[in-house]
Amino acid sequence: MNNPYIPNLTLIESIKEETPNIRTFRLRLIDEDLREKFDFKPGQFIELSVFGYGEAPFSISSPPHIKGRFEVTIRKTGVVTSALFSLEEGSVVGIRGPFGRGWPLEEIKGKNLIIIGGGIGIAPLKPVIECIIKDRNKYGNVILLYGARTPKDIVYKEELSLWSNYIDVHLTVDKPGPEWRGKVGVVTTLFDYIKVDPENTYAFQCGPPIMMHFVTKKLLELGIASDKIFLSLERLMKCGMGFCGHCSIGGKYVCRDGPVFSFQEVKGFLEEAI
Amino acid sequence: METTRIISKDDIVELIDRFIVAYQVIAPSVIDDRVMYKYVSDASEVDLEYRGHTLLPPKRFFFPEKEMLFTYEISDKGTVSIYDKCEELKGLQRVFIGIKPCDISSLKILDKVLISEFHDPYYAIRRNNTLLIGITCSEPLDYCFCYYTGSGPSTDDGYDLLLTDLGEEYLVRIGSNRGLMLIKYNIDLFKEANEEKIALAKKLIEEAELKMREQGLPSFENIYEVMIKNFNSKIWEEYGRACLACGKCNFTCPTCTCFDIFDEVNLDLKSGRRMRVWDSCHFLSFTQVASGEIFRKSRPSRVKQRIYHKYCYSLDEIGVISCVGCGRCIEVCTARIDLRDVIRRLYGYE
Repeated sequence: MNNPYIPNLTLIESIKEETPNIRTFRLRLIDEDLREKFDFKPGQFIELSVFGYGEAPFSISSPPHIKGRFEVTIRKTGVVTSALFSLEEGSVVGIRGPFGRGWPLEEIKGKNLIIIGGGIGIAPLKPVIECIIKDRNKYGNVILLYGARTPKDIVYKEELSLWSNYIDVHLTVDKPGPEWRGKVGVVTTLFDYIKVDPENTYAFQCGPPIMMHFVTKKLLELGIASDKIFLSLERLMKCGMGFCGHCSIGGKYVCRDGPVFSFQEVKGFLEEAI
Repeated sequence: METTRIISKDDIVELIDRFIVAYQVIAPSVIDDRVMYKYVSDASEVDLEYRGHTLLPPKRFFFPEKEMLFTYEISDKGTVSIYDKCEELKGLQRVFIGIKPCDISSLKILDKVLISEFHDPYYAIRRNNTLLIGITCSEPLDYCFCYYTGSGPSTDDGYDLLLTDLGEEYLVRIGSNRGLMLIKYNIDLFKEANEEKIALAKKLIEEAELKMREQGLPSFENIYEVMIKNFNSKIWEEYGRACLACGKCNFTCPTCTCFDIFDEVNLDLKSGRRMRVWDSCHFLSFTQVASGEIFRKSRPSRVKQRIYHKYCYSLDEIGVISCVGCGRCIEVCTARIDLRDVIRRLYGYE
């Protein structure tokens, strides 16, 4: 019997600085057998251990067709992430998972998709975009709306310019600097620049609760059905298995039944915040 | 499987002493004027005639309030080794005697949660390696309502042996092959039971049921619909204001399983251990994430979370309510929130 609480040892292969407080860590499981078997779906997450500091959940931000290694993009915010930022390439961490349910990529084949990301919330959406680009002709019109606080908080700058060759990319920032030539305003303002066919369009979103609240409202106004609006919810999942209770929403657990939910599934229970 | 035996009160003392030689034995015992489950080293410590239930539920013997999951050590080269604490549990052999039906029912609920799609090995190993000798309840306490939740004063399954106190002796029901083996190994202490004794046990259980039924609680049949209908009821605001968010109801609840996970570091800073401790959905920090966001900020939303989990979400998750009607949360609540009043009001009784 495998003990699901025991992390599998994992090497930090490389670290990339995305913004002053966001880094992408490329990870490689040390055990060869586990490395070969490791498979996941876009939107799933892992529990990452920094020994001595604890464990925290992070979405996988690389696509599953890249084998043998995977990436997590992390903002320095708490105890575990601060400890992680002090580690160098070649350090050993632990991972458990992957856990949860990802984005419904099969369901959206042949359909249009609006992807809405706010800040670091674009991390779990990155593998979605990369899977779509890999099989571009299997999907309809795809739009990315991405908002960051300031121009220097934009994550995946190189990727964004690459993606714009395949999908329709719109960027905005809340507070522009003197160099910024792009749009200014919260992410919902980007809806003014796009055309939506609500019958054939799905929406995937991830960002701060306040963003998802207003984006959901906007999507419903546009006539997109609540079972076609998907959100990746943030909670502090401790165990990943539906035991510890921290991520309970209604009869569902974000760790086991999510983190990706349709708005339809959770709307009755999102009491105080998305 | 259902067969019955009789054991005298003298012989049960002998049986417990025999268990103590071969097993670790957990039993009800008086500590500071309260009956608690504890490890006993002599049959004289055991009190099988206690009223109602113990102050604390049995879960800590299967899912301790604080437990080490593994230890780790980082070498000078930076490699990490992990030692799984589960390994130490595998040799465990225990007998848990004197556990009441409400508490047996609570273990059946914990099984559904912790031994499901995922497997909590720390719980599962302890559960597998522990024989349960239950005892039916003849004298429920004032706040017991297990009759309504279908979890007492007797139970039809979930035990290896089940005793009923007949005055000078116990009726023994056999609930498993392991229970049958226990009797076979101690055959000299047991007698055959006759119809009269079985009927007496049945009568005692029915009397206990009658005592509880005087409370006039609604039947829990359509509780799910009642809960859904009352999601925005004003009563939650009221109970939320009263609640002190102390978490005692969680810690004394036999079915609450919420926990936190964290690391403890040794002074060498190179080694340490991963721990888990019970947590409470009533605590403000329970839903806090690293960015500072708290998803259930108001006390009413947290009071609701616990009660909805027990009577509504649990039906979605495991198909049964996760309340066994023990009333421990009623007994310990400083704010005097009585779950039975909550239920009566939800059903519109008052």
